[in-house]
Amino acid sequence: MAVEQLDIHLVLMMPEILVAIMAMALLLLSAWTHKGGAGVIHWLTMMTIVAVVLVIQVGSGTATTFGGQFITDDFSRYVKVVMCLGMVLPVLMSADYIRGHGMDGGEYHVVTMFAMLGGMIMASSGGFLILYLGLELMSLSLYVLAAWRRDDRCSSEAGLKYFVLGSVASGLLLYGISMVYGVTGGTGFAEVASFLGKPEGHGSQLLALGVVMILAGMGFKIAAVPFHMWAPDVYQGAPTPVTAFMSVVPKVAAIAALFRILFDVFPTYHVQWVPILQLFAVLSMAVGAFGGLVQTNIKRLLAYSSIGHVGYMLIGLVANSQAGAQGVLVYITIYLFMTVGVFGLIIAFDRQGLGENISDYQGLARKQPVMAFVMAMFMFSMAGIPPLAGFIGKFSIFMAAVKGGFIPLAVVGVLFSAVGAFYYIRVVKVMYFDQPEGEFKVTLSGGGFIVVSLSLFMIFFWGILPGDLLAWTGASVQAFH
Amino acid sequence: MLEHYFPILVLLGAALAIGGGAMGFSYLVGPKRPYHEKLDQYECGFAPLGRIRMRFDVRFYLIAIIFIVFDIEAAFLFPWAVAFESIGLIGFIEMMLFLSVLLVGYAYVWKKGALEWE
Repeated sequence: MAVEQLDIHLVLMMPEILVAIMAMALLLLSAWTHKGGAGVIHWLTMMTIVAVVLVIQVGSGTATTFGGQFITDDFSRYVKVVMCLGMVLPVLMSADYIRGHGMDGGEYHVVTMFAMLGGMIMASSGGFLILYLGLELMSLSLYVLAAWRRDDRCSSEAGLKYFVLGSVASGLLLYGISMVYGVTGGTGFAEVASFLGKPEGHGSQLLALGVVMILAGMGFKIAAVPFHMWAPDVYQGAPTPVTAFMSVVPKVAAIAALFRILFDVFPTYHVQWVPILQLFAVLSMAVGAFGGLVQTNIKRLLAYSSIGHVGYMLIGLVANSQAGAQGVLVYITIYLFMTVGVFGLIIAFDRQGLGENISDYQGLARKQPVMAFVMAMFMFSMAGIPPLAGFIGKFSIFMAAVKGGFIPLAVVGVLFSAVGAFYYIRVVKVMYFDQPEGEFKVTLSGGGFIVVSLSLFMIFFWGILPGDLLAWTGASVQAFH
Repeated sequence: MLEHYFPILVLLGAALAIGGGAMGFSYLVGPKRPYHEKLDQYECGFAPLGRIRMRFDVRFYLIAIIFIVFDIEAAFLFPWAVAFESIGLIGFIEMMLFLSVLLVGYAYVWKKGALEWE
């Protein structure tokens, strides 16, 4: 008995293969050089990611390999570039944080690369099994990353919490996938979609339940309410560069996968998933807006902020259109730079022994006006105040919702973004209007300076001239119809 | 299709009834005269030597993890070996890739000294 010849085009997977090989090579390098190789590994990681971005750019058009299990198209390429940025910027800005907290030795870079690899596989997945494989590779790496400072109680707690809750979510996702398989007899996206196109594929209760479970599992990974419980503790406990990484890359990957599942596989079931996602979106925005009001720790505050941001992104999914998908890509790209910039500053504060409490920044503007100004700009951008880029992100999402006929949802979104603006501006108030208690000597490291100034430039540039960003994202979502 | 599982349901019911019945009856009608020695943990008949919740060395945990990795490797290798004739060269290359990935992890663990007991 001969097995069907698989169509294998490894060239389509070059970015993933490159990341995997380099991650393994660096792992061996770290074992053989001990701490001496940490600097080399740091720079090799950067160069690898730059190379991966270049390799991603080489591809064009839509193609599948491994029997349709792996898809590359403009959408996945765009998302992968965002993920590469979401990985390389936190690494670049945290070289001395990693050294200062005993996280050097190279494994940190390797595990981060594996997490990103999992995310890239998710974004290109063409079937539920490979989606799950990518998700687990990413999640397992993230559990380890969250607990990286194992002598720190908060970090261990974060890792354990994330692991226990994350495994339950993975279980839910698998259960949902098994229901979809039970009804349709396939796990590939194309197979399932072609079954659902037939008359017998309509109106299956079991399938609807499976879709709900898949949504729940993915909702956990993006920290959408009601699956957000882990986020504040994990964000606070994890080392700051890890928090920066995990507030971008897993969200990008899971949202990209959700797009593929919902738009390509279950378009006929939108009667089921649109209301669910609407509920997720409203609850996430509400928890993000009100939960952040009472936080005193900046990382917890950013956790609630990220829950809120996920709520806005889900509006783009609910809109169920190309405009919605484009809005999400715009939002996520801008969110990447805002988040990375803020965490870059938090790392700089940490370098000088400042705590993570918002009250530690009291009167920063009197002593260091430039630092306070940069922080204030990131906060205003997160609040969505024009002319900063955060406004463009929210604007494109709300416009997509209005065009899709979800006007009440857009109105609710605007209201919650007004509530959420309060706590961002409170940080600005503490920096500008409170009396300083001690001395500040906050300086950025070399990498931190590059990352923060790049982020600052991007939020101003895209806030005023968003044309390029809109064009790129618009071209990337042509894959959906 | 579900009706094929009916015998299993019957078996499940019988097992629950017998097991639950035995425990329930002994709870209801059995005499209860507890005293210290009776409630104590059982250790081969003599007085207990230590606490029941022992701490294990963390090294066992590491060994267990490494065992799981290679256990799964073996679980993959058996069906691969059986189907080797029909999957051909591609199957061989893919398994070698899988093994070499595992080997990287093994080399790392070895070099880091995680396999040394002392």
